[in-house]
Amino acid sequence: MIDIVNASKFYGTGQSRFQALKSVSLKLKKGGFYVVTGASGSGKSTLLNIASGLERPDDGNIIYSETDIAGLTDKELTQFRRKHTGFIFQQYYLLPNLNVDKNVKMGADLAGNKNYREVIKAVGLEDKLQKYPGELSGGQQQRVSIARALAKKPEILFLDEPTGALDEQTGRQILDYISTLQREYGFTVVMVTHNLNIAQMADTVVKMNSGKITEIYSNSEKKTAYEIGW
Amino acid sequence: MIVGIKDTSRLAAIAVMAFCAVFVCTMFLNYNIDIGAVSSEITSPEAKALYSAMLSCSKMACSLSGGCLAITSAVMLLFYVKHYVTLRKRELGILKALGYTDLQASMSFGIFGISVLAGAAAGFCAAYAVMPLFYKTQNKDGLLPDIDIDFHPSLLLYLVILPGIFFAALSVFSASRMLKKPVISLLKDTLQTNGKIKKLRESSSAELSFTAELRKSNLKTKKALVFFMVFSSFCFSAMTQMSFSMNELSSFLMGAIIMLIGVTLACTTLILASSAAVGGNTKTIAMMKAFGYSDKECRTALLDGYRPWSYAGFALGTGYQYLLLKIAVNIVFKDVENIPDYKFDLAAAIVSLAAFAVLYELAIYICAKRIERVSVKEIMLE
Repeated sequence: MIDIVNASKFYGTGQSRFQALKSVSLKLKKGGFYVVTGASGSGKSTLLNIASGLERPDDGNIIYSETDIAGLTDKELTQFRRKHTGFIFQQYYLLPNLNVDKNVKMGADLAGNKNYREVIKAVGLEDKLQKYPGELSGGQQQRVSIARALAKKPEILFLDEPTGALDEQTGRQILDYISTLQREYGFTVVMVTHNLNIAQMADTVVKMNSGKITEIYSNSEKKTAYEIGW
Repeated sequence: MIVGIKDTSRLAAIAVMAFCAVFVCTMFLNYNIDIGAVSSEITSPEAKALYSAMLSCSKMACSLSGGCLAITSAVMLLFYVKHYVTLRKRELGILKALGYTDLQASMSFGIFGISVLAGAAAGFCAAYAVMPLFYKTQNKDGLLPDIDIDFHPSLLLYLVILPGIFFAALSVFSASRMLKKPVISLLKDTLQTNGKIKKLRESSSAELSFTAELRKSNLKTKKALVFFMVFSSFCFSAMTQMSFSMNELSSFLMGAIIMLIGVTLACTTLILASSAAVGGNTKTIAMMKAFGYSDKECRTALLDGYRPWSYAGFALGTGYQYLLLKIAVNIVFKDVENIPDYKFDLAAAIVSLAAFAVLYELAIYICAKRIERVSVKEIMLE
């Protein structure tokens, strides 16, 4: 599905220039559940950003269905994200002046999805349609951002520390929603987290350190969100 | 310090506004005081009629221009204070958490008064620089006695020093009122009040596309920007059309001054409003782009909603200047000879509209370019 080949990424200039990704290669298969873990500054978020087309690598290729998205223009990258990807961030980034229904519509309109309220129902917020982000708890806001991402029917869902701002109980609930919905809709999940316990939920775990992939392994037995440690 | 001296440079729009208000008021009020001193020398009926018309005209110009610009400056100042409170809410929240009162935490906002003081002082000086020419133009027919230009310290106090102090106090007290919130709502990213949510809920409607919804909610929640857009087009329309008429009714100098003030005010407020429309939405733009919305769709959602308001402001300005000049010619100058009858100048209206359309679309084009430059990295930086 996505083939990352020798991708490198640099930030900064002059003496402050540093290499966030060092010639990383990784194959992401359709329908897989990938968890990328590592310490702060290990390059995991950078890997997610270049794999999702949010950023271009300085070197290497990101092959998606025979197209190297690293060579696309800004407009073409926008089109790529429009058609193929969904995002969930730690800070939710909901639009404060739009209610739950309209926030989810942000994703739904891009896919022409008229039945987007089914996704809102799937995350258990059907009674909060008219609520505004300021009236919701952190967990509920994250569920809105999940619904918003899934309403655009993405082929790959990228998640950057989706439970980072949540307490244990709410975090488990969010992870449970994600894995349940993945089984139902069949999209690929690429999740970045510093919580090693979450790796037990993944098909494949990618460990990173200092901009390099240090280990890739598959879980023979996956655990549910309520079985993992925290 | 939450707000420093360098932040005042961002308040250039208020300084320009203060400059224009004080420039107009100083010229006319100084003239009124000076002409009042020689009123006993005015004896002929024509000169008396011209004298009283000049006084009425000066009072009208001062109260309309000065009043209108002062109110707009105050609205603009409140807009900036709110902008900075939102921008610095975490730091302000920390101050409150440490035990500072709302007033103590807001004291640094008093520095915004410097912008008004600087603009007003520049306007005051500029008015005295132009005054010899202005006095000559006011008495071009030689009906009134020669008037010497005197410096009046009371004008300096009322037009420069007191407004500076008033606007500094207004900044502090408005910031203090905006900080009357629980500390936690400042530290967390939630400044959305129940009242605001209630208003939004009342306005929510049936099925619109996401971009249409966003456009609608922007107009509902950013009323100050709508006001500035309307004010900008109103100023441009009223003052450019008035300047064409002034060439005929009064003098080229008056026409040029009015044109210059109108275009400056219109450009300043238009730049302020359009850049705030983009600058206040960078996270929204970045998020929309991350999801795959094109630059054009972002522009449509965030900027297109202001266009009808801008052109409505233009129409309002056209009507306003027509009525104002009609009143001036038919009532104020009715006893003065050689004042031609005033008719609506369609050609001036068309030229003004065309110039405004170019200016407005140029501003929107610049904003569209700024939208293109907003990177999706905006949402990765936190």
